[in-house]
Amino acid sequence: MIRTTLLLATLFALAACDGMPGRPKPASRWKSPSEITDFATLYRQNCLGCHGMDQEVSGSLPMDAKTYLAVLPREVLFDVIAGGIPSTAMPGFSTKSGGTLTEAQIKILADGILAKKPSAPDATLPPYAAEPGDPARGATAFAAACASCHGEGGTGGKAGSVVHPAYLDLVSSQYLRTIVIAGRPDLGCPDFANRIPGRRMTNEEISDVVAWLTSNRKNEFGQPLVPVKSSLP
Amino acid sequence: MNKVIQAARGIFLWVDDRLHLTKLYESTAGHHVPQSSGSWFYVFGSATLLCFMVQVATGIMLAMVYVPSAAEAYASLEYLTFHQYLGWFLRAVHYWGSNFMVGIMLLHMTQVFLFGAYKYPREITWITGVFLMVLTLGLAFTGQVMRFDEDAYWGLGIGVAILGRVPFLGEQLVNLMLGGPIIASDTLSRFFALHVFVLPGGVLAIVSLHLRMVLTKGINEYPRPGQLVQRETYDKEYAAILKKEGVPFFPKAISKDLVAASIVLFGILACASFFGPKGPLGPPNPVQIDTLPRPDFFFLWIFAVAALMPDWMESVALLGGPVIIGLFLLALPFFNGTGEKSWRRRPIAVLTVLLTYVALGLLTYLGHTSPWSPEMEAWKSDPTPKEFLAGRSPLELQGSLVIQSMQCRNCHAIDGIGGQRGPDLAAVGARLTKDQLIRQVIQGGGNMPAYGKNLSPDQVEAVVTYMVSLRPPGVTPARDSTLPGRPPLE
Repeated sequence: MIRTTLLLATLFALAACDGMPGRPKPASRWKSPSEITDFATLYRQNCLGCHGMDQEVSGSLPMDAKTYLAVLPREVLFDVIAGGIPSTAMPGFSTKSGGTLTEAQIKILADGILAKKPSAPDATLPPYAAEPGDPARGATAFAAACASCHGEGGTGGKAGSVVHPAYLDLVSSQYLRTIVIAGRPDLGCPDFANRIPGRRMTNEEISDVVAWLTSNRKNEFGQPLVPVKSSLP
Repeated sequence: MNKVIQAARGIFLWVDDRLHLTKLYESTAGHHVPQSSGSWFYVFGSATLLCFMVQVATGIMLAMVYVPSAAEAYASLEYLTFHQYLGWFLRAVHYWGSNFMVGIMLLHMTQVFLFGAYKYPREITWITGVFLMVLTLGLAFTGQVMRFDEDAYWGLGIGVAILGRVPFLGEQLVNLMLGGPIIASDTLSRFFALHVFVLPGGVLAIVSLHLRMVLTKGINEYPRPGQLVQRETYDKEYAAILKKEGVPFFPKAISKDLVAASIVLFGILACASFFGPKGPLGPPNPVQIDTLPRPDFFFLWIFAVAALMPDWMESVALLGGPVIIGLFLLALPFFNGTGEKSWRRRPIAVLTVLLTYVALGLLTYLGHTSPWSPEMEAWKSDPTPKEFLAGRSPLELQGSLVIQSMQCRNCHAIDGIGGQRGPDLAAVGARLTKDQLIRQVIQGGGNMPAYGKNLSPDQVEAVVTYMVSLRPPGVTPARDSTLPGRPPLE
């Protein structure tokens, strides 16, 4: 009887052995960085450092800002991840640009980010890109829409200056336009629809404010200006 | 029935007459040892031997599947780990067996040192033990190469880089080791031969001598303070001890060894079951740069020493160090062969052990955390904690992005997140003024490279403005100490 019990116990132990916690899971098998196809992992490894997630405050535009996602064309997002934006803090991540991501991985990132896009976007949204407007009108629009936080002439206020020459040199004109449209929800900066009490900013006002902001560039640090592009970032 | 017993007895006597089994038993298992040596402190030697036997048994089984070829080794490791039934367990037992063997060998050596067992007349027992230590570490290193992954590749690279520094013979030694100037197809075969034939063969040969010495010169009696070893009288004293309180090794003294053996065996199996095997990590491919190679734990301290040493010391310390340590260990029983055995009256011995353990422990910890290594992914995967972003101006936020995109975070953590090589930036605005920060960023210094050529003036302005804002709440920015009374520079 005891022998049988011992024999059974041994067999049971041997069978259980293969299920012990030390057994490496197939998922723990080493994968080359180019084999990673999981959006969450790719985002955490490549984007989280600057773009944050889940309403956390981030250095650059958060990739879950609703208005931003609503106006952002997919091909622009793909191109920016792949090639970066020259003269800004956004590097290119594709292998062609000296990064480490494959085209397939960049597609996964772009699709994953846009998966949070509102399902029924507002038809009256301003276009993502547009020609610059009139700087003089822009100054007036800025005073109405932005000066309450950024101060008169954009030189300060509780949210800080947006006309500091170094700041304007480090960001692209499209970046300025994107923020005028989408705001920075993580920092409490409202989008174009909620800046002026009682009404939305018009498409012209948006283009004018961007034109006025870029007209403040002084290039006083002796660096080439960020190339001003109208259709691409 | 009687006839059967008679016949069996006849056969046994015939065999015994030819093989001298009874004499062998009397001189080994039956030989007398001091009763005082049947102590829990005396179990580490046999426990190390047990680990070696576990390694031989599991090693033979592993060798049936493992393919010692540079092209196929990695695939065979993956097969063992993920496909072969219980293959992972076999690898885990071999891995943990090696960890236990190195650890218990260290305990054995410490005990022998503290109990003065290396003194007269057991010099050769000690010396063979020193060679066994070298062979065991050799087995550990070559075993790490058998797990032919990125750790093995770079570990091997570092090993031969040290070897290559040997004066005059360096290049030849590297060629001998690797089968050429670089790690290539011959390399793994050579290490396989070393790991499977040469080193275990050496261990078997020297263990035989080691045990022979234990039999001929006896096991050290449990030392009593004040009982001094003298060359003239010790042998008689030891004989007297054996006569007075000698017990046969089997079954009296061996009982504690057996208990210890089962504990060690259980420990190896438990660690293997719960923690599993190590790796294989990424393939041994020098093109694959997304890697953080680390040696196994018993060599982490060397990794730390090599990383922390000043450049000018490297060749001297890496080549001279092992020679000095080796000579010291070999000479120990000759310059300190008599006198007090008990650790209670040998403060220098106790301090030596404590210092060695503290140094090894600290260096191992440092090797494990390796704060000198930049975190190469921090710039894109470690977000800036929100309290260091909230309330910042657009320019300061751009500064935080410059810190990310120029990969400052790889060396500089913010609030503990990021690389540890440079100072944490969480409170840098309270330590350095804006001017000092500009100078540091542009000119570098104190182990930091100069970034003046890599950053535009705009980027410097942004990054420095941001860093001035990195202060604990309520703390004013650092002030220029040469300008007393002036308001802080914002």
